[in-house]
Amino acid sequence: MAVANAALAMVGGIGVTMLQRQRNQLYSFMAKNPLGHALVRPRRDFSARSSSSLLPPDVPRLAETARIALTPDEVEEFAPKIGQIIDWFGQLQAIDLQNVDPALRADAESNNLREDFPETFDNREALLAAVPTYEKPYIKVPKVLNKD
Amino acid sequence: MFEYVVNYLNPMIMASICSRGVFSRSLLLYPSAFLTRRNGALFCTMQSSGAQTVTKGETSKTPMEALPRKQTKVHEGMLKDYEAVIGIETHVQLSTLTKAFCSCPYMYGSQPNSTICPVCMGLPGTLPVLNSKVIEFAVKVGLALNCELSLNSKFDRKQYFYPDLPKGYQISQFDIPIARNGFVDLDLPIEFGGGHRRFGITRVHMEEDAGKLLHSENGTGSQVDFNRAGVPLLEIVSEPDIRSGLEAAEYAAEIQRLVRYLGISNGNMQEGSLRCDVNVSVRPIGQLEFGTKVEIKNMNSFSAMHRAIDFEISRQAVLHNEGQVDEIVQETRLWDEGAQRTITMRTKEGLADYRYFPEPDLPEVSLTREYIDKISASLPELPEMKRRRYEKMGLSMQDVLFLANDVNVCNFFDAAVEKGADIKMAANWIMGDIAAYLKNERFCINEIKLTPEELAELISSIKNGIISGKIGKEILLELVAKGGTVKAIIEEKDLVQITDPVEIEKMVEKVIAENPKQLKQYREGKTKLQGFFAGQVMKASKGKANPVLLNKILLEKLNANS
Repeated sequence: MAVANAALAMVGGIGVTMLQRQRNQLYSFMAKNPLGHALVRPRRDFSARSSSSLLPPDVPRLAETARIALTPDEVEEFAPKIGQIIDWFGQLQAIDLQNVDPALRADAESNNLREDFPETFDNREALLAAVPTYEKPYIKVPKVLNKD
Repeated sequence: MFEYVVNYLNPMIMASICSRGVFSRSLLLYPSAFLTRRNGALFCTMQSSGAQTVTKGETSKTPMEALPRKQTKVHEGMLKDYEAVIGIETHVQLSTLTKAFCSCPYMYGSQPNSTICPVCMGLPGTLPVLNSKVIEFAVKVGLALNCELSLNSKFDRKQYFYPDLPKGYQISQFDIPIARNGFVDLDLPIEFGGGHRRFGITRVHMEEDAGKLLHSENGTGSQVDFNRAGVPLLEIVSEPDIRSGLEAAEYAAEIQRLVRYLGISNGNMQEGSLRCDVNVSVRPIGQLEFGTKVEIKNMNSFSAMHRAIDFEISRQAVLHNEGQVDEIVQETRLWDEGAQRTITMRTKEGLADYRYFPEPDLPEVSLTREYIDKISASLPELPEMKRRRYEKMGLSMQDVLFLANDVNVCNFFDAAVEKGADIKMAANWIMGDIAAYLKNERFCINEIKLTPEELAELISSIKNGIISGKIGKEILLELVAKGGTVKAIIEEKDLVQITDPVEIEKMVEKVIAENPKQLKQYREGKTKLQGFFAGQVMKASKGKANPVLLNKILLEKLNANS
């Protein structure tokens, strides 16, 4: 599950960057990406970067941050694919946002809240049965002392 | 995350703070100060659990060891040339019934891995739904810390890999926290010279807790308990306005008081409901840039914070002074309670790339003006307001700090005063006999049978001369342990003070008549024997004779011409 989420983090960050100008320095590999400069005329400040030259994504680093082991062949294979995804998002740059206020979030709804009322999840057995190394009552994991 | 802001402090003040830090290790100042706090701590409980009565009481078991000799020898004059810059990140675990994003109940001490579900375990296909109480509590804290609230904020994902984090990311708030730019006011304890301080609050944001990781001693592996995963936290980040271990400990104590007054957390450090990460750097006085900052963790009491930070300041100042500034590296250090020193936990920091991005599974958090106003109107009287009000009532700062330290004590005191109790007398009874009883019995003030009404009644009975102070004390102890009313006890035990001079005179005459030998000695000049006679009369009256009248009449009789 962690791997799937990490992959989402890799890709998820891309879409969001388009919407959120104040955070774009975090996605460093994105910042260097000139999203289809032929397609887009810069309208907002963040678009200005699009005119720099395209650097291919640093796949080994991305794989490391996502804790995914890739062979050199896979790195070869993924680099253009990730590039394609980025280009796909690049199409968003073509949208005219001149008269649109920056949004915190893409969705319209807000405050879908829940009452503070406890409910116990019934099928905990199944939840724990799916854990590969469950040693009652704890879940056993490899010893990890350093976090980064 | 933590950004320092340039802040100067008057060098004179700094010098005095620094030197106090050093002196305090000579055992002169610590015990009294922390004892005072500990007494206060025994009052506390919050509604959510009953276990925290021992909160700070626990620390009393920790011996106040002197620091290693090398530190004690640090020249006071040397510390004068440096100033410490301290900022604190405080994690407050909210006392909601359920977790932040799922309906799992949370109870400290539950069977490991019993309060979990697919959402907090991060299983694929699950979606988080925010607990409305988390927003309410965050707004309360934001308002109480004088912050600006964000009418629109959002959650972000903070990505990192660690076995206690089921999803591989923590739901937190990054660039738009729910509250920012606030401050907190506090009073330093009298034992440390007193003084009022205001520390800036950079931000307050909502996030979820991780599970608990236990490193087994022998072990090939570690053990995880996910009960805590997904429990709501508020992270409160201070400005780097703090300059000493004492100020840091007081800041943390004030945050604890605040969350307890607000009823949003039990603020218990031992249980980890209040966790402080402290950033400490030292720079020569007059230097603009901050020194290299070091983070300290693992302090589970205020006194440990105080000592850990003062140790760290000395450690860094010594390195500055010996021209070894390069040896101060950006790192996380742990406070080792046994050795009374900080030790390296991990270096190689500042490179963490959490790849934050907005949490796509949660909508933005919107607050309306009405909502904020409603919560604002519902806030209780907060510690700072309480202290200023008590001060205006004429209480000494010592009394003010003692009473305001615990919200339950405040409530008891306020209720007694409302029922007409004399302010100073009520404070004295609470801080004296009641506090002593609570300490002995390890009770919280809410658990005793004495009501504020009866305390008020007791005080007025003494004030009006119905009972003597000594009898008052006996009645108090009975009320505290068994309950009942002052009037009933006085009647039942016939304790009304004897103020009738004729009756007292009779008792005096009887005692004098029964002790001719002592009377002779007294009249021959052994006037000390007055005490003996007074004691005998008091005994005869079962302690009920008005002592002033008794002594007056006794003197007249003893000195009367035979």
